[in-house]
Amino acid sequence: MSDKVNLTIDGVEIQAEPGSMIIQAAMDNEMYIPYLCYYPGMKPYGACRMCVVKAEAPTPDGSYRALPGSPASCTTPVSEGMRVETNTGDLVGLRKGIMELLISEHPHGCLNCHRVELCGPTDVCLRHVSVNDRCVTCPKNERCELKDTVRYMEMELTTPLTYNNRHLPMEVKDPYWDMDMNLCIVCSRCVRACDEVRGDRAITLIDKSGRSIIGTAAGTSLLESGCEFCGACIDVCPTGAIVERDYKWDKAVQKISTTCPHCPVGCQLDLDVNKRNKVVRSIPNRKAEANMGMACFKGKFGLDFVNNKNRLKKPMVRKNSILEEVTWPEALDFVAGKLEHHQDGDYALIASARGTNEDNFAAQKFARRVMKSNNVNVSSNSRPKLVNSLQNLIGTDCASNKIWELLDSQVILLVSANITEEQNVVSVPIKQAVAKGANLIVIDQRETELTRYATKWIRPLINSESVLIGGILRSIIDQSLEDHDFATEKCEGYDKFRNSLWDFDLVKVSAQTGISQEEIREMAQIFANAGASSILYGLETISDSHINDTVESLVNLSLITGNLGKKSGGIYPLFSGANQQGSRDVGCVPNLLPGHRPTASQGIDLMEISEACSSGAIKALHLIGDELFHNTPNRSEFLDKIKATDLLIVHESFASEVTEIADVVLPSALFSEKTGTYTNMEGRIHRLRPAIGPIGDEDEDWRILSQIAARLGSDDLSYSSSDDVLTEITNEVETYKTLQINSLDSRGHIRNPILNSSYVFSPIEFTQSKETLVNDQYPMVFAPGRVLFDADRDAGIVTENDLNTITRREVIEMNEEDAKEAGISEGDVIKILGEEFELTGNAHLNGLHSGMVATTALFGTLIESLNSSSEPDPMAKTAGLRLCKVRVEKV
Amino acid sequence: MKYEEITSQATAEWANMTSGRVPLVRIGTAMCGHAAGAFRVLKALQKYLDSKGLKANIQEVGCLGLCYAEPLLDIKKPGKSRLFFNNVTPEEIEYIVDEYLINEGYPKEKVFGYIGEEGSVNGEDSLESMPGLKLQNRIALRNAGHTSPHDINQYIANGGYAGLYKALTDMSPSEVIDEVKNSGLRGRGGAAFPTGVKWSFLVGSPGPTKYILCNCEEGDPGAYNDKGILESDPHTLLEGLAIAGYATGASNGIVFIRHGHDGPIERTEKAIEQAYDLGLIGNNILGTDFNFDIEVALTGESYVAGEETALMEAVEGKRAMPRFRPPFPAAFGVWGKPSNINNVKSLAYAPEIISKGADWFSSIGVNQSTGTAIVCLSGDVNRPGLYEVPMGLTLGEVVDDLGGGVTGNGQLKLLQTGGPLGGVLGPDSKDIHIDFDEMRSAGAIFGSGGIIVGSDRVCAVDLTRVLVAFCQLESCGKCFPCRLGMEHLLEIVERISNCASKPGDMDLMKSIGGTMEAGSLCGHGQLGFGPIRSAITHFEEDFRLHIEENRCPTGSCDRSKIVPKNTRPYATDHIPGE
Repeated sequence: MSDKVNLTIDGVEIQAEPGSMIIQAAMDNEMYIPYLCYYPGMKPYGACRMCVVKAEAPTPDGSYRALPGSPASCTTPVSEGMRVETNTGDLVGLRKGIMELLISEHPHGCLNCHRVELCGPTDVCLRHVSVNDRCVTCPKNERCELKDTVRYMEMELTTPLTYNNRHLPMEVKDPYWDMDMNLCIVCSRCVRACDEVRGDRAITLIDKSGRSIIGTAAGTSLLESGCEFCGACIDVCPTGAIVERDYKWDKAVQKISTTCPHCPVGCQLDLDVNKRNKVVRSIPNRKAEANMGMACFKGKFGLDFVNNKNRLKKPMVRKNSILEEVTWPEALDFVAGKLEHHQDGDYALIASARGTNEDNFAAQKFARRVMKSNNVNVSSNSRPKLVNSLQNLIGTDCASNKIWELLDSQVILLVSANITEEQNVVSVPIKQAVAKGANLIVIDQRETELTRYATKWIRPLINSESVLIGGILRSIIDQSLEDHDFATEKCEGYDKFRNSLWDFDLVKVSAQTGISQEEIREMAQIFANAGASSILYGLETISDSHINDTVESLVNLSLITGNLGKKSGGIYPLFSGANQQGSRDVGCVPNLLPGHRPTASQGIDLMEISEACSSGAIKALHLIGDELFHNTPNRSEFLDKIKATDLLIVHESFASEVTEIADVVLPSALFSEKTGTYTNMEGRIHRLRPAIGPIGDEDEDWRILSQIAARLGSDDLSYSSSDDVLTEITNEVETYKTLQINSLDSRGHIRNPILNSSYVFSPIEFTQSKETLVNDQYPMVFAPGRVLFDADRDAGIVTENDLNTITRREVIEMNEEDAKEAGISEGDVIKILGEEFELTGNAHLNGLHSGMVATTALFGTLIESLNSSSEPDPMAKTAGLRLCKVRVEKV
Repeated sequence: MKYEEITSQATAEWANMTSGRVPLVRIGTAMCGHAAGAFRVLKALQKYLDSKGLKANIQEVGCLGLCYAEPLLDIKKPGKSRLFFNNVTPEEIEYIVDEYLINEGYPKEKVFGYIGEEGSVNGEDSLESMPGLKLQNRIALRNAGHTSPHDINQYIANGGYAGLYKALTDMSPSEVIDEVKNSGLRGRGGAAFPTGVKWSFLVGSPGPTKYILCNCEEGDPGAYNDKGILESDPHTLLEGLAIAGYATGASNGIVFIRHGHDGPIERTEKAIEQAYDLGLIGNNILGTDFNFDIEVALTGESYVAGEETALMEAVEGKRAMPRFRPPFPAAFGVWGKPSNINNVKSLAYAPEIISKGADWFSSIGVNQSTGTAIVCLSGDVNRPGLYEVPMGLTLGEVVDDLGGGVTGNGQLKLLQTGGPLGGVLGPDSKDIHIDFDEMRSAGAIFGSGGIIVGSDRVCAVDLTRVLVAFCQLESCGKCFPCRLGMEHLLEIVERISNCASKPGDMDLMKSIGGTMEAGSLCGHGQLGFGPIRSAITHFEEDFRLHIEENRCPTGSCDRSKIVPKNTRPYATDHIPGE
């Protein structure tokens, strides 16, 4: 391309992006300049001085002017005609001089032990070097960038400099990570990743001169320092200074690139597998376009369940009320024999949100074709209304834009979603956009991490969000801020919609929502006046009956400001379930066939399944995964209800309360053992690749179903591999037609949306909130919040059993009038009691709406509980921040 | 208020103060006075005057530069010259007041000299005829010791803000820059870069928000002239800052002062408040459409925070670590806005340059070094002080005439100039002129103006150890060559100082120094080897004695002496090298 910059590095002519640094230009052209503090994608820093070069740039008179000194190539931008030398004698000498200094304080037994060449993985160390300096004391041995760099530089490692080991104690009291500051080279990559990339600032440089080192922001523990346990610091650390605690000594014999099963972002992870067939590490892929090298606490530290020994290894069938292990043929025969009698509509199948597109395509086909039932669903599809109307209105049922386009959004409106915990990586571009000056508006009753970044944090009355958005729409019209051309030329139904707004008088809206007219007007201005405004909604605090209205209002908002079809604008529904989107695409939902074709008769809704079981409408329930049970607020009631069925088939990997009551338990393969595809929230199709082999007799769900189908006399599911299934999917699902199965890499493939010819406005209605969350016994609504860091309140750290724990006094926010009525004054110790919990804290009377109480917990506390959980897969079972009814008592 | 109103009010006040009926008592309460006990003297004075029911107008003033004579008290009785008393103690107050104010006599035991057109009070010498003041030509410090830093009117009455007024009303911004360029003023922070040229960089930068930063980090041992200006006469800086703001089109000025410099901080903040009150900064300054705001920003304890890009990081509330360049501050400075950083002294000259003209300023000094040098003279010298002398004086004149020679009839052995990163000069340096270029070619720098005198009782190795320890402690820890190189340099110098050197130590130091010089990110590391190199150049013999004969020539390298704390990494024991 012509807009590139031409330069030569060591005589090789290359092209580089204008404004890029020499080192990046070299990297992009597969040339190597040694470096330690630079990290692609992060801002240049210029500390290690390893990447020094000689450079000269042409002057107008044709001669060349040398850049002064030995500039660092990570901080020197390329310029047209520049000539760069990277390996002159002086430069090599300078680099070696710096490396000698560095090695003088870094334990380097791994480099100069006389056995280093001979040393194999099973060798007994002869301890040529002192014990605390051996290569085996470094968890990153042979994964170490410093070591690689020293070797590249062919250092002699005979230096007269005194060796100074820092002799610092290891920091091992926080969950998940180990910090050995004796190995730190103070390159600050971790600090910069935490600050620049993640926006958390949980770790920082402390002290100065030779004592500068990495510490936590609060000086005590990560738990109270604002850490989100995303592991970004670990991923960038060039040495063994910061590492994952679990399996830290294990070496990888294999690296497998696959997709995270925890949420619909679909992070691409490189899994390290050791020689004992265990997944020992998860390292997010930097080339992946869905996550750009980011991960979260779940993807980084929440995958150990795949190594859990207590797996279900054999099929089990209940005989004489006892579950007995049987062979696969026996189990399958048993299942087929039983299912024969349920092919007349009393069968329901709930697939797993972790099921691949192939699994769930097979599941819906099995239910519909073989079992002749439309009662098929995926466990994460609990709120289908989040996306149901999107297809008709904007032509796609997932995010209209890509996740990382959010980086350049000027306004981001976030409605009722706790992204930090539910779709964590989406919060990264949002935080970066805010750091660049974007306005973030958060509408949520709960205090979540992103409310801390918000320009405006709006806490409307419960279930008044659709009215509030209606008010914003009205205000946009009132202030003539709408994109009239877009609304009339690119959209349908504008006039009718516009007329429906006359009901939204701001006085009324303000009374209904508890938000002042001024705030509504300002939101309208902020949202409408920006070049690109995006909307993200999870509607986690909104009752089901209000979801549709709210979604339609939000679509209207995006349309009236002309933000659809625009880069960094658009609308992003935030649901849960790693493959919720794919399940919908392949028709594993009760209302859609593969390719979003509507069904003739709709199957039973997810929330009504248990009821249908107890009423006898469903007699055979087929559960793939037990997530439905975990996502149900009232679990024991759920169990009682599904017990009423004649046949309960459960595919699971771990024993649980659900497998205990099942008639048949079929061991199911985990994501780490599967081949297949997931589709993420942007409609991006990602590959799953098996990282570890079978542990017992478990199998992939599509194959199990295919075998049952065969036994039921159907050849509809006669596949020999998951790619067979995928081929059928690409034939049946219009949006998957362009997918090239063999070229699917970590960048994924965005499915082809079938766009409508125009977008559609929906007229909206001024609705009174019909539902009430409370009752006489529990008259208040409780909005639990959770943030990474709370600067206003002290948190104490107590160390017990070598583990840090947060001790912190809860503060319970309350309305002043409510408090007065209950005889509560500021600072009083009060208790909130819910149906299943209670919480004590000090009352804080602020501007909260009457009838509500709220608290803000620390994320560190959640991490503590996850870290100490005995569940095989605690991260998948993290309870979200649900609104619930409570009563308040003075203690 | 109009400028004329402001000046006429100030002039009237000043006239009343200096020639009114009440005696005017001035006492130097700058750092040197403070350290010598000026505030105790002040308290005793007030108490005694109260007890006697005597009325006097007591004014705290800055430093006259004669640090050795502090606490320096002067009393001006109506119609008489100012009579100075040196090294006053609280106990002597009674004697002075009784004799001079009550008995109308002459406390000749304590008299130091006089200043004033009225002539000698009782035959004492004129202070201005003594070398300490005679050799001086006070421009930036013209008011120091004469007016109170707490009172803007005293500054205005002595010609203050006339330069700003002239610039705003008579000159265009480019004329101001030309004037400064023509004056030949070079930055007094150490690099001696022409100030006018530096200002012109900012002119071209776009944007309504631009910053002029004033650097008073001044963490060097033996430097106190920036602080001296701020605590003696903060308004001269504020005026200079406003002139620079006008010339460059900047919108904001930030005076960056090291945390803990309480006197300068308080006085500057107070001065800013007073200047706002009179409309000398803020919006529509002196009725023109020029707007300029000034605030004070503080840093933590970090020497490197004085480096211009580290300073910007510190102003932004971050860890004071240098940024890489380019982008240069004129394009991307504080908060990403165009910025320009000037030393206190450079800015403090601006008002007089504008008032009196470039030609007047460039007529002072020599060669490419115009104007005056503000020397902080300390060490083994009889009259340490803060002296503003014309550029071109020889170092010999500074030590012998200003400083009154080496203490204890000792011989001059060395001069440490330009701060810890500067250099060391030998006894043969007396003929070197104070001239940026001449000093640089002699292997030292004039830098920020600190001159520490070492007599023959000083061991060059010991001095080097102290300097290196300072530089090591003050490395910010960002770039590897400086963070690690300083550590090793200190270790080796300590080893030599302890007469426990290893073979090859001198070469090792040179090789580490070379790495630091070529590899470091900022001047701290690039210049970090300077002290050692110049010490080796001039005092090789001292090093040789330590290394080859295991002895210190002066005995000052004593093992039992305190090693600077917290300068070493965490190691307590060393594992022998592999």
